[in-house]
Amino acid sequence: MLENDFPNALQWHPDPIVLDAKVAEAKQKLLNSIKRSIYVFRVDCGGCNGCEIEIFSTITAVFDAERFGIKVVPSPRHADLLIYTGAMTRSMREPALRAYNAAPDPKIVMSYGACGCTGGIFHDNYCVWGGTDPILPVDVYVPGCPPSPPSTIYGFATALGILDQKLHASHNVAPADEQVPIAFPAIPYKVRVAFEREARRMSGYYYGKQIVDEFMLTLTKDTKDALKAADSLIASETDTRKRAVFMDLKALLMSKVVDE
Amino acid sequence: MLKLFKEIRKTGSATLGYPFSPIEMPSGFRGKPEHNEKLCIACSACAIACPANAITMELDPDQNFITWDISYGRCIFCGRCQEVCPLFAIELTTDFELAVMNKDDLRESCSYPVARCSKCGKPYASAKEVDYSRRVLESVGGPAAADIKKVDLCLDCRRFDDAEAFAHQAPDRKEA
Ligand code: SF4
Ligand code: SF4
Ligand code: SF4
Repeated sequence: MLENDFPNALQWHPDPIVLDAKVAEAKQKLLNSIKRSIYVFRVDCGGCNGCEIEIFSTITAVFDAERFGIKVVPSPRHADLLIYTGAMTRSMREPALRAYNAAPDPKIVMSYGACGCTGGIFHDNYCVWGGTDPILPVDVYVPGCPPSPPSTIYGFATALGILDQKLHASHNVAPADEQVPIAFPAIPYKVRVAFEREARRMSGYYYGKQIVDEFMLTLTKDTKDALKAADSLIASETDTRKRAVFMDLKALLMSKVVDE
Repeated sequence: MLKLFKEIRKTGSATLGYPFSPIEMPSGFRGKPEHNEKLCIACSACAIACPANAITMELDPDQNFITWDISYGRCIFCGRCQEVCPLFAIELTTDFELAVMNKDDLRESCSYPVARCSKCGKPYASAKEVDYSRRVLESVGGPAAADIKKVDLCLDCRRFDDAEAFAHQAPDRKEA
């Protein structure tokens, strides 16, 4: 990353806009008194467009943000709330500032999506500022990549003070000499590795893990007859693709069974 | 006109009640990754796998603790962490209500004591992870568990140890 290799004094950093006291006070009043009916202007500062699509699905019939009076307007001059999406590319800094200055004070700024909050997946790209807050004072952060329509509505509700935020910063210190039980102690380690490889080969990284965990959990639950447990798992599975993987895993299990 | 109203009445409303009534996310929805601090052995697998660097692991300046840290603001909900975790210590939930007013509230962290190399005293892994690997090796047994004592050594000392053992095995030069 450039920040790490290049002396800080020689780098140019954008100065975030600082609210003056009067505007800040007015904004606090606005945040306290406004309950619904806010007009929203959307500024895309270099996202992948996923966030935009979710904003638009928030105002469609299923989620219908307009029933609260939340309306997407075509000009920042009408807006109470500005939604900034995207990781704030260097060339979008100026347009972002222009939109901000065009909106009447007091205004609420929402950082939308992982990109808007911190830069998200693009955070260490050479051409981004890494989110909205290096440039503008942000009031509400809506994480997600992209945030689903319900989480967008939740974000609006949080900004308007209708719902309380659920997340809170936490820091814990683990006690020394805490022990973790071994996962699947009944299955020999090498067999477990073989299962996990096979499942990932069959159905990819995320689902492979879920399928192999389900399979191994079934095996270990039945302490008497693991093969019968595997059979009943295969028989009860309705998804044929998943059943194929289970059958494959069982074949692997059979190949490891040694007659005594 | 009346027919239209009848039609509307029959169709009903498609709009969901959220936020006034709770909403059930479908299973498989990738929401907030939930970290189980008790089950975590601080092995850093998730921090290495995380494509967005939402999870980071850092050694404290006084080198007594290694800190696991997640920023929900950077997470892209890909599930890589859940996939690589050997112990179900991090799993994606269907929790989507993540918006906050204060950016610091997007972070969660947990510090774990580190283990020090029995030879040189350098911190090299979390104590929980060393303990876990020792027990796994014991359960495997056989040749894998032959040099089980070496889990107490850091990577450098282990290499040094291996080189020394190898030198002992090699035929003596003077004799040859
Ligand atoms: S947060 Fe994700 S969906 Fe939204 S703009 Fe960034 S990459 Fe795209
Ligand atoms: S879901 Fe993906 S981005 Fe989020 S913490 Fe896990 S690995 Fe990182
Ligand atoms: S992969 Fe699992 S056990 Fe390892 S540090 Fe991450 S959460 Fe903890």
